[in-house]
Amino acid sequence: MESGRIKTGFVMGPKLSRSDALGLGGLGLAGFLGLWGALSFFGIVPVEFLPSPFAVGSRFIDLFAEPFAGFTLPQHLGSSLLRYLYGVLLAACIGIPLGLAMGWFHLLDDIVTPIFNGLRFIAPIAWVPFAALWFGTGIGGPILIIFAGAFPPCLINAYRGARFVEPRLVEAARMLGTNHGRMLTEILLPASVPSIVAGLRVAAGLGWQSLVGAELIVASAGVGFMMVQAQASVQTTTVMAGMVAIGLTGLAIDVALRQGERWLHNRLGLD
Amino acid sequence: MASIRFDKVQKYFGRGEKRTHALANIDLEIRDREFLAIVGPSGCGKTTCLRLVAGFEAASEGAVSVAGKRVTEPGPDRAVVFQQFALFPWKTARGNIDLGLRNKRMGGEERAKRIADVLKLMNLDSHADAFPHQLSGGMQQRVAIARAYVLDPEVLLMDEPFGALDAQTRVVMQEELVRLARVRPRTVLFITHAVEEAVYLADRVAVMTRRPGTIKEIVDVKSMREAEDWNRFERIEDVMDLDSFVHLRTRIWKSLREEKDS
Amino acid sequence: MAWRRQLVGLSTIITVALAWYLATSVTGFISGGRFPSPVDTWAAFRQISGRGYADGTLLAHALHSLRLVAMGFAVAIATGVPLGLLMGWSRRAEALINPVFLLIRPIPPLAWIPLAILWLGLGDAAKIMVIWFAAFVPAVINSFAGVRAVEPALLEAARMLGTPPWRFITEVLAPSASPMIFTGLRLSLQASWTTLVAAELVGALFGLGRVLNLAQQDIYPGMILVGMLAVAICGWLTTGLLALGEARALAWNQGESRPAS
Repeated sequence: MESGRIKTGFVMGPKLSRSDALGLGGLGLAGFLGLWGALSFFGIVPVEFLPSPFAVGSRFIDLFAEPFAGFTLPQHLGSSLLRYLYGVLLAACIGIPLGLAMGWFHLLDDIVTPIFNGLRFIAPIAWVPFAALWFGTGIGGPILIIFAGAFPPCLINAYRGARFVEPRLVEAARMLGTNHGRMLTEILLPASVPSIVAGLRVAAGLGWQSLVGAELIVASAGVGFMMVQAQASVQTTTVMAGMVAIGLTGLAIDVALRQGERWLHNRLGLD
Repeated sequence: MASIRFDKVQKYFGRGEKRTHALANIDLEIRDREFLAIVGPSGCGKTTCLRLVAGFEAASEGAVSVAGKRVTEPGPDRAVVFQQFALFPWKTARGNIDLGLRNKRMGGEERAKRIADVLKLMNLDSHADAFPHQLSGGMQQRVAIARAYVLDPEVLLMDEPFGALDAQTRVVMQEELVRLARVRPRTVLFITHAVEEAVYLADRVAVMTRRPGTIKEIVDVKSMREAEDWNRFERIEDVMDLDSFVHLRTRIWKSLREEKDS
Repeated sequence: MAWRRQLVGLSTIITVALAWYLATSVTGFISGGRFPSPVDTWAAFRQISGRGYADGTLLAHALHSLRLVAMGFAVAIATGVPLGLLMGWSRRAEALINPVFLLIRPIPPLAWIPLAILWLGLGDAAKIMVIWFAAFVPAVINSFAGVRAVEPALLEAARMLGTPPWRFITEVLAPSASPMIFTGLRLSLQASWTTLVAAELVGALFGLGRVLNLAQQDIYPGMILVGMLAVAICGWLTTGLLALGEARALAWNQGESRPAS
């Protein structure tokens, strides 16, 4: 037994046991859901504005079969995800090669950086009017906005990866007479992979954000569109079910990318 | 009387399979106003000894007490000088020194007087309002020592305080510490892996074994220092040239060497 | 090298401006219905600065949006930073609050907009609510991480000096976490602007987003560009202001000079 136990002081304290942590976490969740449920059950907030957690859950399930604003929830999600995929892929396909090239060719860096820095202060969502004007509200408009959200992290991380690559690797490649193209594809690209992957994860998050924004404003299908339609007809339950769907999908994307990142790190023997 | 006592102290880290035995049966007394240095191979638990006195760790068995009181938590009566200085980077030298005094709820005038006093003692006058990052390593450590000394602690705990300094600064700080020990003697527990430093500074040097750490032997330096009157020299290199110093240093080296090789 | 960089940068901007002029006004390569020429943009700017557009001048719209961002951001700091510090400070608080936080966090702030409109209407309150939600998350996460990244030796030093709890929070934990807190605030500010613009685009009576929205309906490219530029400039101004505050608050962290001993 430990004798003369030291008071652990008031900072952090010792690690909680698993059961304590689970208990407290459960308590927190129960408190949150309980408060929500009580507010709506006792009519403190009118049910039409704050439906109970249970009502939101069952609406979420209903929406799988019952169409709202023209489509069922999976159909809305499907069209959201398609746009999202196009937007993020486009951002990655342009941002990563450009970033790498900027990290290698200083002239390109000097040319692109001022433009990029100027455009960066424009919130992606502020592109909405032009997006609608140029590409309409179908699939093109939202893609431009997702692209605007996902592009900066793709470019920046590829650029940083290439710029701050171990100088000795570059010197070694030079000594071996490597040409520019091969330098980019065989030295800088592989060396920047961890940075690029981290950037992709950020890009995926920001792209998902932008998608939601875009669909709220310019779209004729998609989860965001569904939520705006529900808001217009004061169907709070459907709005909240849409939030659940967006949250879950975003979470799934993030988890999948984290797993991918971890797998890659193991594969490359990092960490 | 502020002595430090280790009473049959055992220390384990971790539990179950991963449990390691860090300190085994440490029995040691550091007398009032005595300067005791602990040397030992790295990982032997020297620093753990200090952290037990400071109250950062608890003994698994046995007890550590200071001035007859059992240690239960950290406190300003046992001031610590850390290896990496541990100065608050957002506070000036003066702010760092002041914090402990404010925590004691001391009045403004008294604090100002004490701070002025300790700044002078540590030759920090012109750096009082500098932030740590503006100071050299040696200066930072002066601030850390001043922060500890200004509290007028019963005991002073120093964990390889000069380990992070370059060789020249280190020598200056060692001389400074000897000067300080003469002006303001305190009970000091000093952890180091440098044998010369230990012999130069300490009244007694305790040699520790490899893990699990035990006190292997305690070498008396004080009687030799007084007999040979080392204190007549101002500079460390003059002391280090003395046969008596070399003799003690070699003896402790050999004792330590047996530990490292075994 | 620095001057060369600036020279290239400057000539790039001039080239882009020239290309814009040539493509829209001279050659008509890009039609005015798709993207405005410099002249169209200037005319739109003159119109909104003088007579006004969407019920107000540009300055009035911009000040309105700035005020909403400032208010939402302030509420987010006042709630998010203390919560993050608390969760960093106590593992119990972390265990209690974190699951709720994890439940809400995956919902992007923009997804709150329809609910906010349902609850609070098209006025300012709904905007402040969504900005608060958007800026809250980065403020909490970074304050929390800042506390947990404090060097343990500093905590020990503070305890050794007998620091009482309140002083411990204000003079040790908070300053030590402050570089991370400011990182969080930068993200919060960015999120605030994005959210505000989105919320105003979805539905608003006044503000820069309202200008964009109306200009889109009117198919008025010059005004769209003016609105976008106004949003960018506002964002740039507030970011600069925050950076200024950061430089002041973290003066102890800025110095690069470390004289040798």
